Amino acid sequence: MELHSCIHPLPCTPSTGILVSGGRTEAKFAANPRKLHSLTLNSVPFSSKDYNLGRSSSTDFSRMAIGSDVSEDTDDMFDDLLKKHGKVVYRRNDQKPATEEIDDDAESLSFAVAVAKVASDVKAGDIKVLFVKPLVYWTRFFIIATAFSRPQIDAIGTRIRDMAEVQYGRVASGDFKPNSWTLLDFGDVVVHIFLPQQREYYNLEEFYGNAAPIELPFENQQLRGSKGY
Amino acid sequence: MIQPQTHLNVADNSGARELMCIRIIGASNRRYAHIGDVIVAVIKEAVPNMPLERSEVVRAVIVRTCKELKRDNGMIIRYDDNAAVVIDQEGNPKGTRIFGAIARELRELNFTKIVSLAPEVL
Repeated sequence: MELHSCIHPLPCTPSTGILVSGGRTEAKFAANPRKLHSLTLNSVPFSSKDYNLGRSSSTDFSRMAIGSDVSEDTDDMFDDLLKKHGKVVYRRNDQKPATEEIDDDAESLSFAVAVAKVASDVKAGDIKVLFVKPLVYWTRFFIIATAFSRPQIDAIGTRIRDMAEVQYGRVASGDFKPNSWTLLDFGDVVVHIFLPQQREYYNLEEFYGNAAPIELPFENQQLRGSKGY
Repeated sequence: MIQPQTHLNVADNSGARELMCIRIIGASNRRYAHIGDVIVAVIKEAVPNMPLERSEVVRAVIVRTCKELKRDNGMIIRYDDNAAVVIDQEGNPKGTRIFGAIARELRELNFTKIVSLAPEVL
């Protein structure tokens, strides 16, 4: 326990206070343990509150000095071990090879882009495709779109479902009735259709801010169209 | 194992802090609710100046239980607390963010919205 407390920076703060008054930093303290040891021996605990810590400070310091040496030794030890065994973590055998993963990603990406295209055909606004695979394990792509009325949400949902079933043979779970936040779950692609208010309220883009956005092929045309509009 | 009169923590930022289960939705005479079940609950404690208030009756989905959850592959998950997420009649969460780890069984039970707002899915 004591060794742990002296490795941890916080319990040693009263003693570092002494060090600062002596014009030394912690790094120096580790480098020159003997001198500091004498310093602390001369030091008197400044208040009754610090008394307990102050009482054990002399032993703590000597141990801390030893501890710093030990850490160097352990570093060497770890270096030797790393040289011997290597830094690589062994892979599990049941994982798919990288090429197959990339193929799966490409397939999901093409499906995601197709879904975004359908949404854009039905005039959904502000469509974003996010690659969330590095952030969450349970899906690969998020499609976030805004619809401006419930009938429009219904239209987008139905069209996406039909396209997925006919062209890709996928069936979505999730909401079947138009909802202010309608979610279609195709497994590796999850489609969120919001009303503008709900989109602002839940702010999914901010929550998944670290996800890489995918550029959509039809985005430029859409922008041009919206400008004209 | 959540039954009427069980107190639950709230795992979202909806403004409620503690719920008490008053009914389990599903079968007519169901005894216990588990992860992914919808309950009717009353708010026992709420954060001030938030839309939800004390003694309001809400629907909630159970997301964590002290009773262990068994999976087919032999994995057993047991949480430290009983927690629920407040939802509305349509199934949308009332809060905008979920706190703590939740189980992936929620996705299979069509609560993907809750899963997509959660920081960690077990």
